[in-house]
Parts: sequence; C-alpha cells; structure tokens
Amino acid sequence: MIFFKKKKKKQQQESNSNSTKGTLTFPELMKKLKASADFSTVKQSSLSTFYISYYKTLVNPEFVHRDLLPYITEIPLKNLDDIQKHLPLDGMVKTDDVHDIANKVTAGFILIQMNKDDPEGLLVPSLSTENRQISIPETEFSVVGPKEAFVESLDTNLNLIRKRLPIPEFTVKEVRVGKLSKTRVAIIYIDGIADEENVNTAIQRITDIEYDHVVDSSYINQMISDNENSPFPQLIDTERPDRVASVLSEGKVAIMADGSPHALTGPTTIVEFFSAFEDYFLNWTLASVFRLIRLMAVMFSVLSSPLYVAVLTFHYEMIPENLLATLVASRNDIPFPPILEAIVLELSIELLREAGARLPSKVGQTIGIVGGIVIGTAAVQAGLTSNVLLIIVALAALASFTTPVYQMSNTIRLLRFPFLLFAQFLGVLGVAICFAFIVSHLLKLTSLGRPYIAPLYPLRVNDLKDALIRLPFSVQNRRPSSVRPQDKAKMNKKRAKEKHDIED
Amino acid sequence: MSQISENKQISPYMAFYMVTTMQIGVGILGFERYIAKTAGHDAWISVIVGGLSFNVLIWMIYRVLSRENADIIGVHRNLFGRWIGGTLSFLLLIYFSSTILTVLRTYIEVIQIWVFPELGTPIIALILLGLAYSYVIGGIRVVAGLSVLGFFISLPLFSLKYYALKNAHYTNLLPILDHSFSDLMAATKGVTLDYLGLELILLYMPFLKQPEKSQKWAHFGNLFTMFTYLITVFVSFVYFNQEQLQHTIWATLTLWKIVDLPFAQRFEYAGIALWLFVILPNICIGLWSVSRGIHRLYKIKQKSALRIMILVIFICSVLIIDRQQIDILNTKVSQIGFYILYAYIPFLFVIQLILGKGRKTKNG
Repeated sequence: MIFFKKKKKKQQQESNSNSTKGTLTFPELMKKLKASADFSTVKQSSLSTFYISYYKTLVNPEFVHRDLLPYITEIPLKNLDDIQKHLPLDGMVKTDDVHDIANKVTAGFILIQMNKDDPEGLLVPSLSTENRQISIPETEFSVVGPKEAFVESLDTNLNLIRKRLPIPEFTVKEVRVGKLSKTRVAIIYIDGIADEENVNTAIQRITDIEYDHVVDSSYINQMISDNENSPFPQLIDTERPDRVASVLSEGKVAIMADGSPHALTGPTTIVEFFSAFEDYFLNWTLASVFRLIRLMAVMFSVLSSPLYVAVLTFHYEMIPENLLATLVASRNDIPFPPILEAIVLELSIELLREAGARLPSKVGQTIGIVGGIVIGTAAVQAGLTSNVLLIIVALAALASFTTPVYQMSNTIRLLRFPFLLFAQFLGVLGVAICFAFIVSHLLKLTSLGRPYIAPLYPLRVNDLKDALIRLPFSVQNRRPSSVRPQDKAKMNKKRAKEKHDIED
Repeated sequence: MSQISENKQISPYMAFYMVTTMQIGVGILGFERYIAKTAGHDAWISVIVGGLSFNVLIWMIYRVLSRENADIIGVHRNLFGRWIGGTLSFLLLIYFSSTILTVLRTYIEVIQIWVFPELGTPIIALILLGLAYSYVIGGIRVVAGLSVLGFFISLPLFSLKYYALKNAHYTNLLPILDHSFSDLMAATKGVTLDYLGLELILLYMPFLKQPEKSQKWAHFGNLFTMFTYLITVFVSFVYFNQEQLQHTIWATLTLWKIVDLPFAQRFEYAGIALWLFVILPNICIGLWSVSRGIHRLYKIKQKSALRIMILVIFICSVLIIDRQQIDILNTKVSQIGFYILYAYIPFLFVIQLILGKGRKTKNG
C-alpha cells in the first residue's frame, strides 16, 4: 500500500502538467487537437451546415462516408438532436463537457457540431481497431483441447470467454487505468459464485493503481500483487480463454487489460502454477501421474545442482562406493571447486536461454544447438566441467521448463542460485536452511488476501483433490474452499454418484 | 481473551501439530541412553507411563485455562494478584526461554559433532535465530504452518528404521518387567524432558479457535509423540544391546549411519539437515509464546520482545561452550520442567479449585 501512496503523491505534483485535467476551454482543446497532423475537421454544408472532427488514424474514413454522412446530409437539420435521431447508431453522447469530449475524441469518437466554436457536440462512437487473428496458444500449448488464445483486443477476449459461459451472472466490471494510457481493464467474475470480498479487493486494488501508462496485464499483475518484492507470481497469467472460463466457474476473479493477450486470475495457490490446463483433458490417472512428475521435476530442478555442490564439497561420505568411481572419474581433471563449476554451468544455461528468447525463433534454435552441444562437449573435453554435472544442470534446466506457467518457471530457475550459495556455505544443512527461508516466505505470502500455499496450509483436504494430483470429475464436487466461493457445490453429488445396477 | 480477532486464530486441530512438534525435538535423537540407564530394556514401559501421565496433565492444563478463559498470565493475575502472579509468570517465561535455549544449543552441538566440527556456534546460532525470526514475525498462523510442514517433512524419516530392523535382535527385549518399580519410575522421570514442550499451550491456547474442541487434538498429539518414542525406543533396543547403548550418545543418529541407498549412504548428514524442520517449529513456537508472554506481562510490543529474546538466547547459546555445560543445561531444564508439570500444574489446579469455589459463592 505504501507503494500506491508514494505514487499518489507524485501524481498530485505532476497533475498540473496533465492536459486532460484542470480547466480547459473548448477553443484550447481544439487548438491542441489540431496540432496533430492526423486530426481533421470537415465542414459539411449540403442542406445544413455542421462540422465533423475526428482522428483519421483512429476512425476509419470509410465508416464516416458509408455509415454516417449519407444519413444526415440528405435531410435538413436544425440541431444535434435531429442528427442523433437520424443516425442508426447507438452509444451516441450529446455533451458540452470539454473533458468528456477530450477523452472520447482521443478514444476514437467522432465529434459533430452545429457551430464551430460551440462546445456542445454529439459524440459518435466509431473506433476502428486493427486486430490480430485469434491464434494457437504458444506458451500454454496443449495437444488436445481448444486451440484458441487471447489476442490484444479486450472485446474479442471477452467474447472468447463469454461464449464459454453463456449465463447472465457472468459479470464484467470495467475500470480505466493509467494517466496517459487510459487502459481499459476488465474485472471478470461470476456473480453468486465468486466471493464478493475477492471481487472488491481486485477492483479496489486496480482503481488504486497510479501510474502513467499500463501497457500489459503483467504491469497490473505486479502493481496489485500482495507482496511486490516476492519472486513468486501471485496471480496466474494465462493466454487460454478455456482456462479463464474454468477458473471463473471455480469462483475466482479474472482481470484483463485492453492491449494484452493475457488474463490474470486469482486468488491463486502455489499448486495451481504446476497444473497445466491439459491435465483436465486427460484421464485423471494420467493427469495425476504427470502432475507428480512435474512436481518432481521442480524439486529436481531446484535442488539437484545445490545437492551436488553440497555433497561434493562437504559430505563425500554420502556417495556410495559404486557411484564414487564414476564421480571421481568425471571430476578427476577438473581444476575448479564444485561451486564454481556449478555456477558457471548454470549461468551458461541461463545465457543460452536468454539468447534463444531474444533472437528470432529460427536463429534461436541454432543457438540452442550450438550452445548445448558444441560448448557443452567442448567444456567437458577441455576438462573445465565434469560431465556428471553437465548432465545434472541440463536436466535441471529441462525440468524447469515443465512448469506450465511461464512466470513460475522463471522463478524456479532463479531459486536455485540462493540454494547454490547456501550449499557452498553449509552443505546439506545449508540447503535445508535455504528451503526453510523460502517456506517462511511462502507461508507469509497471500494472493488477493488469501493464503498462497492454501491446500497444504491451511490444510484443506477437499482442495487436495485437485492439487498435487487430480482426482476424477465425479469426486470434484466442490469448488476450492480456499477462494471462499459463495456457492460451494459444483454439482449435485447424489445424482453424480448414482450407480446403475448391472442390467439397467 | 475475546479481543483476539478470528483471522489471527488457528483451527483447533492445529493443537495436534503444535503439541507433537513441540514435544519431539532434539531429545529423540539420543534419549534412549538416559532411560535405559536405570530401566534397561524395560524402559519402553516408562515411555508409555510418561506419555499417559502427560495426558492427565493436558487435561489439567485445559481445565485450569478454560475456567478463567485466559492464558496462564491471566490465570496468574486472577489467582494471585498483580505482583505475585506477575512474578510467577515471569519465572515461567524464564523457564520457557531456557527450553528454547536447550533445544537450540543441543541442535547446534549435534551439527558441530556430526557435520561441521569447525563451524562456530555464533554463526549457526545467528542463522537459526534469523530463520526463527522470519517465521515468528509472521504471527502464530505462520508458526503453526511451519509446525504442520515440519511434521510432514520429518514423517518419512520413520522409514529409515527399516534398515535397523533388518539387523534386529528381538530377544533384546526379553525378559519383560525385569526391573523394579522404582527403576521404572526413575526412567519415567528421565523421559519427561522428551515430553516437555506441550506446556506452551498455557500461552498459545487463546489463539486456538474453540479451545474446548482443541483438547482432544492436544491429547492425540501427545499420544502421537508417545507412539513415536515407542517406535524409536523399540528399534534402538532391538538393534543395540544394553551395554552398547550406554556408549551411544545419539542412538537414532547412529542408526541413520547404516542406511544404504543405491545413490546415498551415511544418511545422518541428510537426516540432521532435515531435522532442522523438527527443531525450527520448537524454537519458533517457543519464541512466539515467550514474546507473547512478555507482551502481555509488560506492555512491550511483541516485536520488540521477540528481538530482545532472540538477542538474549543468542548470547546465552554462545556462552555455552562444551558438552558438560550442555549436559548440565539439559538436566537442569528437564528437572525444572518435571517439577513445573508434575508439581506446579496440579498445585495450580487445586488452588484454582479452592479459590474458584470461594469466589463463586461470594458472587452468588
């Protein structure tokens, strides 16, 4: 909260320079607007005279000539009400509020006036937006299941969700955020299922945001998160409309920003970050096993290289005799201590990943191959690293990519560095101490005010059915209690459990 | 005590975890030697007797607290007035602090003996207390969460007993009841230290939602501890013979040495590291309770009380340097604890019964 206060103070100091605030007269506004080359004011004087002003870059001129002018040039017009009556469009506003005009015109409305200097005008909505086609989800790809991903347009995205939840209770609250960007932010929930407190917390935090431009939902994610210093993401970031629809029906709240192809959902718990949405498309036995494998992968990814460092630095007694020979053979000529070896390798893997992420995909692949095979082999043959550690580090990097939520996989890769340092300092005990520090952080963490590691602590046995493992749909009869849904039951348990007799 | 808001409280079943994690501490790693000294291979009977008697004590503690509907500091104030009650509370807090110190210092000793002989006490004490601080600052809910996690993290360590049972000599336990009653009682007294820790309920009970419901969980917690000790004693007795046991200071740790997995052996290194999650809840619940007690007693902010406590415990743990001193500390604290639980709690129970009746008739 201190964060917001600080911003507020700053904002008050700067508010004088803000063009759309403070007193502004109509001629001043027109002068400002006309300063841009793409603003045009056209005088129409066929039967009666009126002025049309709009941004050519926001409004499609074709719309003006095809859908607007034909209806009003052929008729004698006395005032703006006449125009409003004859135009077959909705959402028109008649106003003389200069600020309203300024806000709307810059958001893609057409201003129609009878008199050039008269502030009273009719605002006709006609925003033309350039949309990307709906494409296949890339970061959360699934083999089976829907192949739609969000795009940058908020309305298209809402359409994608709403058609999956065709009920009147599906509610969208809209807020504008950002002093300059005026980003449309939608808070989505199902009325009667979502906890009002969660909805209010989300709305409250979003309206409290004070920042000049909000480009993406990830800005909002950081600004409204409970602890902004935590490396752990506190809201799930998803590009799948089906996932959003599904979490909404669990009683959670989703947040979408215009211009961002990602929705945020919360309150969330840490186990959700390790559940891929594809888990629900597979049979529950398979899904549960894959979830467990993913969980093991996370543990392996975080702990393997620290444990290697700990054991080889302090506790070589722990290595069994048979394994010792292999390890000794691989580490025989290495001039560096295990910690240096591990850090250099971990960093080079991070380097590869970072280079691959910044480069175009085709070059990126090449870099991956060059880095992975050539440098790896060369490093081992040159005797700079042991091949056992190379295997461990490469596997750990691979394992970190199994995390279905991208932000969490970043966190996991980062986490192993403090573990490495502790392992070098106090061996296995150091690893345990580092783990304890992280547990202490996680225990204190909340997501929209709800405990972050919820099904584990506070222990919610019911929620464990869809946490580390996923049980069949027939036993998933209650919504997760950690989000405190108003309507707790997902289905009629009795009817779902009804068994048929042998020959029925 | 109705002023504690509900979102600060913890569920009644948490009493189970808080009691067991508080009881099972560093003692379990090597208590077999102490109890076997007098009762020999029959010491397991003492474990049962000790455990059951603690169930009675839990019942008494709950009666004492629920009659006044307060924590022990409130009870003291109501029964003995401001000054005497305050002094008694103060003495009790000193005892609690010394149990924290015992646990911390003994664990540090284990680390120094088994893993890092060169590691200085100040460094490791600082790290452990810093860790404890990061938990206690989050409040009782975080501390309780740690005890749940600690419970589940340490649970798999039971499976390591399998390696000892592979080489067990079950005849070590025969003949049953070979020792005199007084020997068994002496061993029961010795086992007390390992059951100590539950008396912290005296301070955190107002933070349990519906304390009356939590009583059964506290009993279960104590029974679970008893069960754990029984298994431990049983395994140690069938693996070591009595003479060997007398020369084994850390029986459980020694048993971990024989673990032989295809990818790891000498499991005591990992075991001692994992034991952090058994020790940490001990220290954290203790620190939380004591700082809460100081806050209730002297109107100091709990945060400041916590910082003072950590400083004091840090200094004390550095001042204790060798095995003898740690041994003396352990013995003394367990003796004081024995008298507090077996003498003072029943005394409080009776006094309250007498005074309580008097007050009731006065009011009526």
